[in-house]
Amino acid sequence: MVHDIADSWMDAAVSTGTTIMAVEFDGGVVIGADSRTSIGTYVANRVTDKLTRITDKIYCCRSGSAADTQAIADIVSYSLYYHENQTNEEPLVSEAASEFRNYCYNYRDSLLAGIIVAGWDKKLGGQVYSVPLGGMLIRQPYTIGGSGSSFIYAFAQENFRKGMTRDECVEFVKKAVHHAMYFDGSSGGVCRIGVITETGIDRDIFFATESKASKDQGN
Amino acid sequence: MQAELARELPPAGFNFENCKRNEALINGGFLAPKTVKTGTTIAGIIFKDGVILGADTRATEGPIVSDKNCSKIHYLAPNMYCCGAGTAADTEMTTDLVSSQLALHRLNTGREVPVVCATTLLKQKLFRYQGNISAALVLGGVDLTGPTIYSIAPHGSVDKLPYTSMGSGSLAAMSVFESRYKPDMTEEEAKKLVRDAIAGGVFNDLGSGSNIDLCVIRKNKTVDYLRNYEIANRKGERTLDYSFLKGTTIVTGTKTFNLDITETVIPMEVA
Amino acid sequence: MSSIGTGYDLSASQFSPDGRVFQIDYASKAVEKSGTVIALRGKDGVVLAVEKIVTSKLYEDDAATRVFTVDKNIGIAIAGLHADGRYIVDIARQEAQNYRSQWNANLDFEKGDRTIPLKILVERVSAYIHAYTLYSAVRPFGVTVIIASWNQEDGPQLYKIEPSGTYFGYLACASGKAKQQAKTEMEKLKLGDMTTEEIVKNAGKIIYQVHDELKDKDFRLELSIVGKETNGLYQMNPEKWLNMASEAGQAAKMDDDSDNDI
Repeated sequence: MVHDIADSWMDAAVSTGTTIMAVEFDGGVVIGADSRTSIGTYVANRVTDKLTRITDKIYCCRSGSAADTQAIADIVSYSLYYHENQTNEEPLVSEAASEFRNYCYNYRDSLLAGIIVAGWDKKLGGQVYSVPLGGMLIRQPYTIGGSGSSFIYAFAQENFRKGMTRDECVEFVKKAVHHAMYFDGSSGGVCRIGVITETGIDRDIFFATESKASKDQGN
Repeated sequence: MQAELARELPPAGFNFENCKRNEALINGGFLAPKTVKTGTTIAGIIFKDGVILGADTRATEGPIVSDKNCSKIHYLAPNMYCCGAGTAADTEMTTDLVSSQLALHRLNTGREVPVVCATTLLKQKLFRYQGNISAALVLGGVDLTGPTIYSIAPHGSVDKLPYTSMGSGSLAAMSVFESRYKPDMTEEEAKKLVRDAIAGGVFNDLGSGSNIDLCVIRKNKTVDYLRNYEIANRKGERTLDYSFLKGTTIVTGTKTFNLDITETVIPMEVA
Repeated sequence: MSSIGTGYDLSASQFSPDGRVFQIDYASKAVEKSGTVIALRGKDGVVLAVEKIVTSKLYEDDAATRVFTVDKNIGIAIAGLHADGRYIVDIARQEAQNYRSQWNANLDFEKGDRTIPLKILVERVSAYIHAYTLYSAVRPFGVTVIIASWNQEDGPQLYKIEPSGTYFGYLACASGKAKQQAKTEMEKLKLGDMTTEEIVKNAGKIIYQVHDELKDKDFRLELSIVGKETNGLYQMNPEKWLNMASEAGQAAKMDDDSDNDI
């Protein structure tokens, strides 16, 4: 039908059918995400950056509605900056997580946002907090999120060990995200990884061609 | 009597009773008027010396083309332009409003406004209206950080990309970009690429059509607004004259009447 | 008083021609009638001490108390109108709770979370008190508020807010009837690096010394401390420290009295 043409692409909301992940290690955290943003069945952005800065040492991984999560991240970033100036101290990761929880819980009926808050502060070092759909808040040694996470629950549980080094954590996140990207239709693109320590963030990109599955297929 | 002294006030707030009526009318088979939607192809890319925006010129009302040559590249600031897809009224009003906010910001700061400012204003407005403003935008401009392209979806999400497309023809346009885009293209190459991307929409998407508009914004702050850069769909020339020659209709006979017109004039009374 | 009859003292929203807001001056007068309140900041703790004047034997011991808890490590002592003071304490408590619910994940309070930094609490309470000096429809608060706190990062902290809304950080401060006398005593001390025991004893001494037996017959010493010794918890009238203070106070009083006899 001709008159449906103009409407159909407008109706679906932009959402990050996603794989996101974060792991604590001694001295910091490793965060990771795929890079696919989709509108319905269309990939609106294949190089999205879902690792979003809140402060220099606190980042969030976004999943759910792109508009909602970007807006919350902007607001939390603003209020943490204000808080930093008022207290004259670097904000804590738990404070960022608390603020995310406040917005996600209070507006839970109108938001579609699953967020992982991760970062480093001088009080507790590297920390990972998960704020899932209803606005709950929980600290975990590692956490996974987004539609792609369903495919890697077992993998993550099997391969996570306490006390992994930074490099082991990067490898763990890379493998997990690659697996999720392979099996989840709405995750894909590249695997972005960030390592947050006392000095800030180190970023890296890993292409899907480096994944085991991809090599097994002969790609 | 008491009613006169303390009249009952109507309840505060909006009155939504017409919504129910309208719904009932539509259910009863009434064809409600539709908003003008620019089923559209818009696109933007970064090239060596700046950015190029492109758009088709078709506006539709349901299945009807309501304007064959509308303009979808809107002015925001001297260093920024913005393509709009979605409801024509929404893209128009949103870009106009942000344009005036940017002008005020420029006057208050005495500096050229960076492109992120426009992005922030647009996304915050669109997010506030929770997707009810049907505006999907491709924003392009140059500032002290260099050339930038943003795409902004109706719910207020933003993507920063080297090349992007939006609207019903975005798939056609994106396929052209994905196969041929490379960084640091020359202006001529880039113009050709955007033209081809829009042409992809114009020829393969029912919601897009007519002509191609381009807008080149260079790092040296010169702008070429190329309205109707290409008339992609020229109306065909008539090769024959379809007017009838005198005498085409045969005169079978003539008859003449003489009419006498009698008229009585009654003078108006002026006393 | 110069203000009476001029008409400039009827509202907090009007200056007098020589630049005063008389309603604030009157509020300060209300504070000056109050029993003395003092606070001393030591090396790793703060003590608040109050001379609670007992106007009738019929009251219970803990009636009209003038030290309050705001949060687990924050306390307030009030000089001035008791009812106004309780209202301000309530504001401070609300601010402290708001801060906790906004910023604390409440996961591991001992390690990660923090109570409102005293500087911010004082800023907010003083802004509130100041707002009540600006409008004709309200009167200023007839109280001086002394706020104290201790934590590992910032150490001992002590602030005093006046009825005008102005505030300062102090090593030691006093308010109420014998404010001047108390300040004179405090200036003799090595403020800032005394142990908790020393500040408690000195606080007891000062309260007993400045109490005017002729004008106000009976009084009760109220004392609260926060510091390293209390594991960072604000404690009101803790037996050990209260006894230590009143013993020191009574001993000092005896000395003073015997001096007078000679």
